[in-house]
Amino acid sequence: MRVSNQSTYDAIKYQLSRTAENLINANEVVTSGKRINKLSDDPIGLVQVLSLRESLSNMDQLGRNISTGNAWLDAGETALGSVKELITDMKTLAIQMANGTLGAGERNAAAAQVEGTLEQIVSLANTQANGQYIFTGTKTDTKPFEIQRNGSGNPTSVPYSGNGTPFSIKIGKTTNVDVGSDGEAVFGDGSTGGIFKTLIDFKTSLESNNVAGITQAMTDLDNDFNHMISKVSDIGTKGVRLDVKEKILEDLKLSYTERKSNLEDADILAAISDVNSKETAYQAALASSAKVMQMSLIDYL
Amino acid sequence: MSGISLILNTAKDALMTQQLAMDVISHNVANVNTPDYSRQTPTIQANAPASYAGLILGRGVSVTDVQRNADTFIENSLQQRQSDLSATSEKEVYMGVLEGIFNENSGRSLSSQMADFWDAWNDLSNNPSGEAERSALYERGSLLGQTFSDLSGNLAQVGKELNLSIDNGVEQINEMTAKIADLNNQIANMSAIGNANDLIDQRQHLVNQLSEYLDVNYYVNDDTTMTVTTGRGYVLVSRDDNYSLSLDGNAVKWESSASSTTDITDTIKGGKLGGWLDMRDTIIPEYNDKLNQLAGSLIWEVNAIHAQGVGLERMTDLTGTSWVGSGNNGVVLANTNLDFGNSIDTGGTGSFTIWLNDGAGNNTSSVINVDGDADSLDDIVARINLVSPGNLTANDTNGKLSITAANGFSFAFSDDTSGALAALGINTFFSGSDATGMKMNSNLESNKRLIAAGRLDATGQIASGDNTNALDLAGLQYRDTPALGDTLGNYLANLEGSIGIKSQSITRTKEYNEVIVNNLKDARNNVSAVSIDEEMTQLIKFQHAYAAAAKLISTADEMYQTLLEVR
Repeated sequence: MRVSNQSTYDAIKYQLSRTAENLINANEVVTSGKRINKLSDDPIGLVQVLSLRESLSNMDQLGRNISTGNAWLDAGETALGSVKELITDMKTLAIQMANGTLGAGERNAAAAQVEGTLEQIVSLANTQANGQYIFTGTKTDTKPFEIQRNGSGNPTSVPYSGNGTPFSIKIGKTTNVDVGSDGEAVFGDGSTGGIFKTLIDFKTSLESNNVAGITQAMTDLDNDFNHMISKVSDIGTKGVRLDVKEKILEDLKLSYTERKSNLEDADILAAISDVNSKETAYQAALASSAKVMQMSLIDYL
Repeated sequence: MSGISLILNTAKDALMTQQLAMDVISHNVANVNTPDYSRQTPTIQANAPASYAGLILGRGVSVTDVQRNADTFIENSLQQRQSDLSATSEKEVYMGVLEGIFNENSGRSLSSQMADFWDAWNDLSNNPSGEAERSALYERGSLLGQTFSDLSGNLAQVGKELNLSIDNGVEQINEMTAKIADLNNQIANMSAIGNANDLIDQRQHLVNQLSEYLDVNYYVNDDTTMTVTTGRGYVLVSRDDNYSLSLDGNAVKWESSASSTTDITDTIKGGKLGGWLDMRDTIIPEYNDKLNQLAGSLIWEVNAIHAQGVGLERMTDLTGTSWVGSGNNGVVLANTNLDFGNSIDTGGTGSFTIWLNDGAGNNTSSVINVDGDADSLDDIVARINLVSPGNLTANDTNGKLSITAANGFSFAFSDDTSGALAALGINTFFSGSDATGMKMNSNLESNKRLIAAGRLDATGQIASGDNTNALDLAGLQYRDTPALGDTLGNYLANLEGSIGIKSQSITRTKEYNEVIVNNLKDARNNVSAVSIDEEMTQLIKFQHAYAAAAKLISTADEMYQTLLEVR
């Protein structure tokens, strides 16, 4: 077969550019650490990577949502825990005050303690998380409870200014969890029932030396205490739910990250050995091409 | 002629012949690097014998012809494959550009912008009254809109660049066909008196170059001129005439005469021009359409939810972002130019509720019925004006719905089952209907408190911690949208995947064509290209023959002297 000079040069040019391109591509995999550097490197893998990336970014966000939720639940749990203790103190006080040996003066003196507790519980009911009231439904910028007083400064009622829709956060594709509370469901409306009414009535009974009223307050406080326990355990259950969800998210994140890495990250050892083999091929091509190009009959004439 | 003079004459012919042969060789050597040059070989023939002294004696040698070594079949195949290769190479280049535009490894990729956008809605749902969350969401939204319009702008820019290339390509083609016509003329003239080898090579070279620009067919006529047509048979060169192409807007036109042109855009399939046209007219529009569909769905879905809600305050003065088109204020909404006029409910049961606040804490609601097939903008304006005349005024402002509350009054919306609010651009998040025009609703720019994270309660009150709408919007990312039949994120991933697949398959086709073209080139070069080694061998061969012929002359000379010395 005739071999023209043009064929020789063309072949050398083509082969050298091919081997050089292979080497550069192999090098890109090593330097970027990624198997997929362009959309066309592995389009099918890329679609999976994109969907995994979306899921991962979403999991991060859900994680942030959960930590917001935890801040609300923690604030609520702490506040209601304190309320529970205050109610226990009041129960002890009621039992003491119901004692027939006590006189009107002593009972009157205790009334001030009850009012102090009322104020404390109202302030706990106005607890905020991240600057938002948590026992006010979704009217989170509205102070839910304010003590109303009569002309002589005695508390008459503690009306609720929030609404009945608890604040909720998103913890899954279709799952929302209430992390705030409808304050009325927790503390009552302040005039027909609930801990505020109990305390106001208790105080009035103490001031009017009404033993029957004090006994009634003991029963009411018991009910309020049980009610509060159920609310605390409500919040606790939600906290557990968030914790479980957080765990699941972390596990998923781990496995998704691994899948994503398998898809898009380069196996560095394999990539480096690939570069080495491409380099050897390139060097061999250069060496032999240089020799072939040099040869000519002219040198021997 | 006889005897010694015969020898001298034969020797002279031999000298001439070898010299001519070496001439041809030197021409070959000189053209070793000339593209598409076909090596030439002298045809050396013994002269016709003559009878002398009763014998038939040979009468030396002469060069009768100089031949061009070419295989027309290979050249033809090569030229056609070259056309395919040029088309796929150009497509490969531009697919690379598209891949760069949709680059997923950068932090500003569309998919990461979308993820950020959903995250911002989540963040707002965690703190619906937060000013910082609102600003962040606004920025995310406008960056997302910007990214969409950048992408579509970049695609349009590639289209423009392609048109420049096409324009340039058409000029090149005209230049080449004119040269081929000119060469046809020269070759015909020269063939009449001898061989036109080098001109034929030049013409072949031009045809090869031409087929890099578009798919052509050619054949050589009996009078040695060449006829060149496009792949579909539009004549480009016939004898010494050439027919020009021109670019008229987006159309490539073939000028059969000064006054008559034919649009041949769709018939060009090969060469760079074929590749550019395929990119410009098929591939880029396909991705642009998909991008617009994605943006359109995103805008519509977000707006449809956003229009249900309310921000931290009510509105006092509002103009929709979408217009019905000039003179269309009396036309039923579905038939107007509204961005999403077709998405308005036409069942006759759609409605939205408008809540009027009198500034003294009283909220009154009015239900406005909307039927996209029966109601016009004027009808909606009239209905809103009946709500509370003097306190709430609706207007047709240049084809857009505008609503103004009297001093102290303010209004808000809820329960839009008709889709009319989102279609009219009232209480929406985005404006625009496709990637190019995607922007934030300008009403939100001045007052981010109007971003509707929550909804009015049953009595028309705003609760600043209500995040119902924000939660719904954050959940949009998981939902299949009706227009796309897929989630927005999956649709985008598939769009980018399809670009990758297209690019991959074009690259593979290119590599395949490259191998074939290389093989054909090799085959052509094996026949036609110059080998220096071969020419040197020939040179030595002819040099020796030349020396031998010279020796003949000196021998004849000696013979004459021998004769002359006889006394």
